[in-house]
Amino acid sequence: MRKSVFASVVSGTVALATCASVPLTSAVAHEEHQMECNETAINAMNADIQSMGDGEAKTTALKEMAMAEDMMAKKDMEACMAHMHNAMEALEK
Amino acid sequence: MSASKITRYWLIAASVGAALLAVIGAASLAIYAGTYNFAADIPHTGPVYWLLETARERSIAVRAADVVVPDDLGDPKRIASGAGQYAEMCSFCHLAPGMKRTEISRGLYPRAPELRRGSDLTPAEEFWVVKHGVKMTGMPAWGVTHNDEILWDVVAFLRKLPELTPDEYQALVKSAPKTHDEMMQEMESRPMDHEGH
Repeated sequence: MRKSVFASVVSGTVALATCASVPLTSAVAHEEHQMECNETAINAMNADIQSMGDGEAKTTALKEMAMAEDMMAKKDMEACMAHMHNAMEALEK
Repeated sequence: MSASKITRYWLIAASVGAALLAVIGAASLAIYAGTYNFAADIPHTGPVYWLLETARERSIAVRAADVVVPDDLGDPKRIASGAGQYAEMCSFCHLAPGMKRTEISRGLYPRAPELRRGSDLTPAEEFWVVKHGVKMTGMPAWGVTHNDEILWDVVAFLRKLPELTPDEYQALVKSAPKTHDEMMQEMESRPMDHEGH
């Protein structure tokens, strides 16, 4: 019993330490007809991309999302939307 | 062993112990402070996602290793029956050919995989996942309420799903020999069959 409690505490703390030590990565789910350049849409899209299998499409989608976030930070919403659209196209391949 | 060597080993052991305690302490504080965001609309960080994904994949692979796969997964009757079950039990989250994303599929985190795009899982792994579900993903353990035969029908259908057009999918669902409710009634009139793992 004591061993299993100890194992749980150690594994839990290791996982938490990993979370705490890593900066939050960029945001992501979406739907074409209501795609917007905001944090919620970017988070939803990033969640969709996370579930993709590794490959060229995922790499492209991640790059496009990174650019979309850059553009959002620069308040260039049109460019942000364009990159999100590209990411979505890669996502749906 | 010389006294200085023993002292050095003790120092190393004490340092490792202290470092471990510091990590456990910091992590405990982080847990108590609610640092990690469990909201489903904020994705995990890359390393956390990788850690959970890898742990889940290995857990499934190890536990599915003993599952005996029936040799009739290509049987058209099984596939048609599985299509009917899939449409009732799975499509709301995992979608289907020609189906738009549902509200639940858009809000689940981690995302339920769109199975029409195929899967990396083996039939044994698919069966294990369908039967036992997956913690903290929204995937239920269908084995609690369904017998193995019904679940294997679903697996048989999943092997076929990526090849189907929307029309073929609809035709297959319509050709299912029994509706989900009929299957459940039939199953309830017989004892549960739990041969698989």
